[in-house]
Formats: sequence, structure tokens, C-alpha cells
Amino acid sequence: MDESTLGWYPIALSTAVPPGTTRAVLLAGREVMIWRDNDGAAHVWQDRCPHRGMRLSLGFVRGNSLNCLYHGWEYGAASSCVRIPAHPDLEVPSTIHATAFAMLEASGLIWVSLDATPEAPPELDLHAVPLISVAVETSAQSLANGIFDIRLDSFAAPIGDTDTDTEIEALRAGRLFAVSAGAETLLLALHPVHAGKTMLHALLHAPDVADAELAARRRHYAAIARHLRWSVENGRPVAPLAASPTEARL
Amino acid sequence: MTRTSDSASLNQWYVIGSLADYPAGTTRSTRLLGADLDVKSLGKGNITITERGPVGPRPLPVDLRYDHVWTTLGTPARDIFDMPEWHEADRRPVPCGAIRVRASGLRVVENFLDLAHFPYVHTDVLGTESRPEVARYAVEHRVDVDEIWATKCEFFQPRAAISADAGQISQYIYRVVSPFNVMLYKTPPTAPDRWDLIALFVQPVEPDVSIAHPFMMLIDDLSTTTDLVAFQQMIFIQDRIVLENQRPLLLPLQPGSETPTRGDLSSVLYRRWLKQKGIAFGVEAPAHLADA
Repeated sequence: MDESTLGWYPIALSTAVPPGTTRAVLLAGREVMIWRDNDGAAHVWQDRCPHRGMRLSLGFVRGNSLNCLYHGWEYGAASSCVRIPAHPDLEVPSTIHATAFAMLEASGLIWVSLDATPEAPPELDLHAVPLISVAVETSAQSLANGIFDIRLDSFAAPIGDTDTDTEIEALRAGRLFAVSAGAETLLLALHPVHAGKTMLHALLHAPDVADAELAARRRHYAAIARHLRWSVENGRPVAPLAASPTEARL
Repeated sequence: MTRTSDSASLNQWYVIGSLADYPAGTTRSTRLLGADLDVKSLGKGNITITERGPVGPRPLPVDLRYDHVWTTLGTPARDIFDMPEWHEADRRPVPCGAIRVRASGLRVVENFLDLAHFPYVHTDVLGTESRPEVARYAVEHRVDVDEIWATKCEFFQPRAAISADAGQISQYIYRVVSPFNVMLYKTPPTAPDRWDLIALFVQPVEPDVSIAHPFMMLIDDLSTTTDLVAFQQMIFIQDRIVLENQRPLLLPLQPGSETPTRGDLSSVLYRRWLKQKGIAFGVEAPAHLADA
């Protein structure tokens, strides 16, 4: 799967990894992990401790260090091993470190590049509210095709405007789409898990909407994301959703 | 799945269960090194084992030593290991059941040899974070019996055994009797001048699937069998969380893929010994290590 892992991939909504937690992620068949230290910085590493191969995603965060579950080896935010509990007086050689990948956190998404020499990261500065991550049992390509079929006649339903044209733009080929109708934009980030499964991470860019109204938007657009999943998994056209969110097919 | 072609693994004795796992009048199936076996128990210690071979059923040798069912698919160079404690009158044999693990049997053995994980995997029982140090110990390959022995091992344990009501510094001796069979001797809380024995007989089913058969021989006439078994099973289930989450699932034998430290000396010798023997079953093939 070498060619398919080139470039930058969105692998999680920022809200999926609260401070002090870890998260295992499968990206194009490769096991990586995300952890967020208690200063709030997220890190994306290979999900494997160099000691005896234990998955670091089962480890625990203390302060700004990640500790492996097996023998408690402590890794600082820069990925170097700083402490080996079994040998408290040992100055850990700098050659012992976890494998860190280039990462970016922007617009509510965590991105990673597995490449040895990563290309320039995506430039994202939209203020986006994370909505939902949905697992779609299909290839990223099929899902991307499905996105271009979205017609969101009721996109701005909460405002009552049911005749808005839908604009679909690929912000990052195959990986990030902006589906807009009026002033609201649904951001859809595609993350290939393996050949038959793709995570769809959905966010909302709605600068004119007050925080108090976001809850209703969340439900509405989450339903759209689920509807997209259903359509693509079942090879059905992505039909317009009904005007009312409660009639939306989940 | 067909039986492996790895002769080094085939020419060993393996446990496929305790006697209690094969009650009289039953026929049970199991798998060893990829080969399917039928085990028929006729009662009174009469057990036959047949391999479902490619050209028909093939009878296999049977040995019922230590109240376990042993067999081999090849011709082992050595007999089943010696365990003189078996004959002690106050020894309490405690078979602990069969636990399936999605991991190479070699990883299971290596985890059994490891001390440094006690505070993290068996927290507040076999170890505690405030006392994590693994002191230097001695390891050797005893050529006359072809076994790996680690001696003078010590570790502080808040609750060394179910009969322990206080912490103790446990003395440990480890003994790898064959590539997939390992045992340890440790200080019993109630009899500091004797040894408790805990063995792990590993049945390699497929390269990444094993069945562990823990077996204890204890100096303990206070605890119930249920409690003893539950304690040992708890320890093993905690280890299984690690075993099933090591990558790769198979044991890498080439240098550089993993990072041993001074406390890992027994595993370093164990891996070297496996390499000398040419064990391939459960070993990660070099090409697969290119990238995780």
C-alpha cells in the first residue's frame, strides 16, 4: 500500500483526543497512534514501542509524557525515551525513541504524513466545529465519488431556506471536501482505514450561526453524514434529505 | 492449515492439555503446529492421539508425565524435562486450565521470563511502581541439559501469591526447558526455605495463536484450589492484554528490530538459543519487518 500512503491524511477530529488520552488509528493498514499531552499538544507516532513492540496506544499519559503499558518506558513529547523504570539510574541513550510522524492540527482535524520527507502540510484556517466521525464500509474512492452526488436541498433547513444550490469543492484531492449551501459549509475529511473501509470525519463551518444554535445544526449535519454513509454503502444515489431532520434517513 | 515444515519445532514434546482436559470416554480435537489431532481417552490412563495426516491418520506418541498429556509430531532429541519436586509428598499440583492467546507461543514464553513488567501489568500484586528496579541477575545456557537458566532474580512484590498477607522480596529462578515450555521457582510466602513452582506449557497452534497451560506445584495447604487457579488466571489474563498487542505478533529474531536492556538478559539468551536451534514456527520472517 506504499503509494497510497503518500501525502497528508486527516485521521481524527481534534475532539476525539482529549488532553491526557491516547487513540489508536489504522491508516491505510498501518497502525499509528495519537496522544495529547496535558499542555494540549497532539502527537502522532507509530503505534509500537521500540522495546518489545507493545502498542503505545494502550499506554498512559502523565504530564507531557507517554508511558508504555508493558514496562512503563517514558517518552517525552519529542519522542525520546527519557526513563526506563527497571533501571532508574540509567541515562537513556538518545537512540531509544518512539517513531514520530509529521503532524498538523488545524480546523478541528488532526493530520499526519507517514512520508520520510513530508511535502508541505495543508493550509487550513477555517474555524470548523467537529461534528461526527462515521465509519463507511467502502473505499475512499467510492466515498469521494458519493460526495460529489450530494444535493443538500435542505442543507440550511434550520434557517428555513430550502432552495439553496449545493456547491462541492475538493479542498484537498480525495481527502477534504467542502460542501456549501449558502453561508454554511460541511467539511468532509476522508481517512482510508484499509481498502474496504474509510472514516468520514465531518465538521461544520458556520460563521454566522450563534453557539446556541449549533446543537440543532450538529444533529442535522450528523444525519447528513450518516445518510451519505448509507447511500454509498448501499450503492444508492445520494438523494436529497427531507426538509425536516427527523425525516432524514439515517 | 497444514502442519508446519519447521523440523526444529516438530522435534519437541508438547503439552496439549492436562489429564482433566481429556476425561475418560471422550474424543476431543486440538491443533498443534498446524496439525489437526484427535485425542481419544479410554480411561485408566489410556489415551491415544492421532494426527489427521495428508495420507491418512497417523498415531502419535503419548506421555502422561506430571498429569499432563504430552505428544510430539517428530523425534525429539531429549526426553521430557525432569521435575524432581513432582515426587514431594507435600507438593500440591494445581493445573490452571487452558487459555487461548492470539500471539506466538515464543512471545508467551518470553513474557513469562520478564520481571520488569510486574509493576505495570500486575500492578500492586507482583510489583509496584515505587519499586520498579530489576537488579542484575545471572543467565546461562546449561549445555548438558540444553536448558536456559536465570538465577539470583529478585523483585519486590506487594502480593506475591494468594497466601501472602504482606509484601516480600521474592527470589526467582527461571528455567526454559524447551522452546515452548518454561517454568519458574519462587519463594512461597508461607515457607521461605522452599520453592513454589509455576510452569507454563505452551501449545503452539498456529504461528500467531497459542494455548497456554499454566501448571503450579505449590507449598500451600491453606488456599482453596479455586482461589489458587483464579489468582493465576488473573495474572495470565493481564499478560494476555500485552501479548495480543505486541507488534509483530510473532517473535522477531534479528538484532535491531527490538531494544533489550540489561534487565532483558534472559530474553536475549532465549532468542539466541532459538536462533541456534533454527526454530521458525512463531518467528517473524525478516522481510516482514521492513516497516510496521
